[in-house]
Amino acid sequence: MADEFAKGFAILTGGGMVWMTISAWLTTESFEGTQLIARPPEDPGTYAQFALLLRDVTTWFVIFGVFAFWIGIPVFRELRAYLEDDAGAR
Amino acid sequence: MSGKRTDTDDSTEPRTDDISEPEGSEARRAVRTDGGSDTRSDGGIVPQDDQAPTWSERKQRTQGLSRLTYEYFERSRREDEDLRRASDYVERDVLAFPTWPHEMIRNLAITSFFIGAMFFLAAAVPPHLPGPANANSTPAVILPDWYLYWSFGLLKLTPLNPELALLGGEKLVSDRVYGVVANLVVVSIIAMVPFLNKGAARRPVEEPGWAALGVGGVVFAFTIAALAVKNLIAATFPIGNHELFDVTFLLPLVAAFLAYAVLKTMREGYMFELNRRYFRLRPPK
Repeated sequence: MADEFAKGFAILTGGGMVWMTISAWLTTESFEGTQLIARPPEDPGTYAQFALLLRDVTTWFVIFGVFAFWIGIPVFRELRAYLEDDAGAR
Repeated sequence: MSGKRTDTDDSTEPRTDDISEPEGSEARRAVRTDGGSDTRSDGGIVPQDDQAPTWSERKQRTQGLSRLTYEYFERSRREDEDLRRASDYVERDVLAFPTWPHEMIRNLAITSFFIGAMFFLAAAVPPHLPGPANANSTPAVILPDWYLYWSFGLLKLTPLNPELALLGGEKLVSDRVYGVVANLVVVSIIAMVPFLNKGAARRPVEEPGWAALGVGGVVFAFTIAALAVKNLIAATFPIGNHELFDVTFLLPLVAAFLAYAVLKTMREGYMFELNRRYFRLRPPK
């Protein structure tokens, strides 16, 4: 259980750091303006395009990774333990 | 054996099985679990370690779930001790890892990781450097750092400062002094908590009342901090200042009540799990 938490946490922090870095580069207007979630530039170059793609990838990596390790796998294990207990009681 | 054990100990503690009579080498050989050879002639008695609770500590845990948890722990400890007494098990001499290299290598790895993260962030996402502050103009919003918002919020308790009819509608103390006194009251309450409850419970379910108090306190820390920035809250969320003031004091109560209800409900399931695990481990004879 603790291992699963650590894995989800590592995905959240590691992916989040990559996401935050790219967002600070490309989707931040200014310090006073919108930070991290502003509109991406109109005509990004090749590298910026790749970085924006990586930003999308890390977004979903974090969302799915955290969901899988913090919710999906524990729920699956609880269900399996419950069903096995049920079968053992019968 | 240490001096803590008395003669009453042997009579009150439940005997586990026949291993409690370690006299005679046959009985000793029957329970030996460590694979060691029967070389010691004195039975290999190992003194009870200092982790075991004293008798005054035992007597304090007299009721409820903490008592049940404690009894399980105490029985398993007693069985371990009987096993040790009955066998020629010798405790290891090494109680920890040496500082070098074991601990240092691990610490260096962790330190390198965090220093690397700091260098990476400082290089990749450099912080914004604003222009020099103008000492001649007062900023529009004056606020302390965020971790002092709770204290700043306690200075805004003006509606709670009563206007006394005895004084002809005057207030006993000014609102500013009232806010400072409120800080003292809150800090005093927090300082008193360790003396009211020493925290013997390991889990919130064991002490739902105290856990609920803690939840209420944490929520109040957030709501009073929100009250400190009520002008920003009013600009961002559709909530008036009066409603925010009410929510500041009602939300902690609601949260504490909910936490108490949930933990009280969880208690039965927790005790059931505890019983089930225990009897799966040590089935009743």
